[in-house]
Amino acid sequence: MRKKAYLGIDIGSISTKGVVIDGENRFLAESYLWTEGDPTGASKRVLQQLKEQFDGEAYHIVASGTTGSARRLVGAMLGAQVVKNEITAHAVGTTALHPDVRTILEIGGQDSKIICVENGVAVDYAMNTLCAAGTGAFLSSQAHRLGVEVEQFGEIALSARKAAPVAARCTVFAESDLVHKLQVGYPKEEIIAGLCKAVAGNYLNNVAKGKKIVAPVVFQGGVSKNAGVVKMFEEELHMPVLVDEKGHLMGAFGIAILARESHKESEFSFDVADMEFRTREITCGKCANHCEIICVYREKELIDAWGNRCDRGAVR
Amino acid sequence: MEKIKIDDKKTLAFPRFHHYNYGIRYIVEQGLEQRYLMLPEATKETIELGSKYSPDYACAPFKHTLGSLIEALNAGADVLIEIGGLCRLDYYGALQKEILRELGYRFEFVNLAEYMGGRKKEWLKLAKRLNPKVNMAKLLTGVYDGVKMAEYMDEIEEIYFRSAAFEAEKGSFRRICRQFVLEMQTAESRGEIKEGYQKAKQALESLELRRPRYPVRIGVVGEYFTAMDAHSNQNLQEKLVRLGASVERYLNVTNCHFRAGEAALRPRIREYVQYNMGATTTWTVYAALSYAKRGFDGIVHVKSFGCTPEMDAVPILQNISRDFHIPVLYLSYDTQNSDTGLDTRLEAFYDMLERKKKVLR
Repeated sequence: MRKKAYLGIDIGSISTKGVVIDGENRFLAESYLWTEGDPTGASKRVLQQLKEQFDGEAYHIVASGTTGSARRLVGAMLGAQVVKNEITAHAVGTTALHPDVRTILEIGGQDSKIICVENGVAVDYAMNTLCAAGTGAFLSSQAHRLGVEVEQFGEIALSARKAAPVAARCTVFAESDLVHKLQVGYPKEEIIAGLCKAVAGNYLNNVAKGKKIVAPVVFQGGVSKNAGVVKMFEEELHMPVLVDEKGHLMGAFGIAILARESHKESEFSFDVADMEFRTREITCGKCANHCEIICVYREKELIDAWGNRCDRGAVR
Repeated sequence: MEKIKIDDKKTLAFPRFHHYNYGIRYIVEQGLEQRYLMLPEATKETIELGSKYSPDYACAPFKHTLGSLIEALNAGADVLIEIGGLCRLDYYGALQKEILRELGYRFEFVNLAEYMGGRKKEWLKLAKRLNPKVNMAKLLTGVYDGVKMAEYMDEIEEIYFRSAAFEAEKGSFRRICRQFVLEMQTAESRGEIKEGYQKAKQALESLELRRPRYPVRIGVVGEYFTAMDAHSNQNLQEKLVRLGASVERYLNVTNCHFRAGEAALRPRIREYVQYNMGATTTWTVYAALSYAKRGFDGIVHVKSFGCTPEMDAVPILQNISRDFHIPVLYLSYDTQNSDTGLDTRLEAFYDMLERKKKVLR
């Protein structure tokens, strides 16, 4: 008999992640690629990659879950059992792999969060509210300005003798500070080290404000791949900061666990990767709110719709 | 354009403010015996109108109320009423009057900030100004009954948010509350107000509940206008109820104006606060502390972006959060119109509280 497996997909603003796990949290397949502004397309490509690694003879997928900012759309597409926010998914995934973790730092493409853990369960969290300063998107745009690949940032930052001071409070200020430092002739690596320091400092002063950071600390999200930021965190916190090699998959891993825990099962088939999905927005005209209603079609059949604030705009 | 007058009554209007417009209408119609302009529910256009003519750095309540006032003028109001408060809200009336005049509207403006803390004689003069033929006995009964209506509405709302998440029959709480609001809209006497209230209260209390053994309980605290006004906080409490939480909010008109005052509450929070920090911070801290002591699972702090008094309350809430091990979710509102960010944060907050409860039991 084939053993049960569970699928989890995390569709973020920048990257899309997918995993398949078995009943004992072992990874059977994994995938990581850029979203490129096309969540359905990226999810399909993730599914293709997972399908190639997945052993269909020994396992069959009985439940699936989606998380990340396009969770609702892709959830409708897959017919997912669980559609949950990324904060819950990250907490569940990380505590499953590191049961003793006390603090989870996360910096993603467009948001950053901190999760405090006690006895293996999240007890407090915070998320950046108004400004995207110090997130992955900020680092990418600055890398572009400096003419460096963002992937090399960590390496370059570590080679710097010292970090140039860059204002960390706000993206706009940081940027004008950076231009100024460039014009007066600071070496590039010192500026990059300064940026990494600014990201860590901004995070600790904003998102983590008022939260007690206790070791062991796990750092994840795309920015955790940047060794420069990791080093700055360790310097500021005076404690080791652990970066898991599977850190970028934690959201997908967590939502796969949640799908298993939901005990709702129905056979999942990779065929959805070949189907055609289309979304359409309609503006509801029944009052001045003009709600934007998103309708999802699978092969011309309406499968889900949302976005209406009241029943007058209900499509189905 | 000159308005066509059917009678010599004036049409009064007040900015939308949660469910309190019904009480105000009652006072105007039954007490002052003038006409009241009841605005329909606010839409996206209200805040767009408000923001367009507001200084950029004014807080969201300024924009919401200005939008309401413009809509009221367009709907034919003659007299606008704006309230004062304990923060910069006290200057809002004066500023809004100027903005509206510059837009070319003609109207009479009553800025209650000029009367608050004033003597009774001044208030009576105001009543005479609004209706020269005012009947004093009728006015006093009207004010008393209108206030009573607001208190009853606060009480029914409290019951709703405490228990609606656990209703056995879906929609039963909502149905009773809708009927209650309808009766408050049509009430013309103290008897009718009281009857409607008693009927609703009895009906709500006799509803069957499926209460879990350990329900997630969340307390809402924060800035006066944004915390109370459901449209401004994007139906925060209703969203929490739909997630399955029992929700309480101490901050309402009843508790702020007709119950223990600031000076009475402050001694009860003296471990955290020694002096009055202005606006509603004492209520915020008092409510947060009592939720923490009563074993609530979480607190949501609501404020409009840039609200200084509530910003000052944040470090104190952090102390309470640390001392009592109670997480606090901080929300800042401006004029955003997408719910997605809020939904994500609330869902994550609720999930965390629920999982924590399960594991720690």
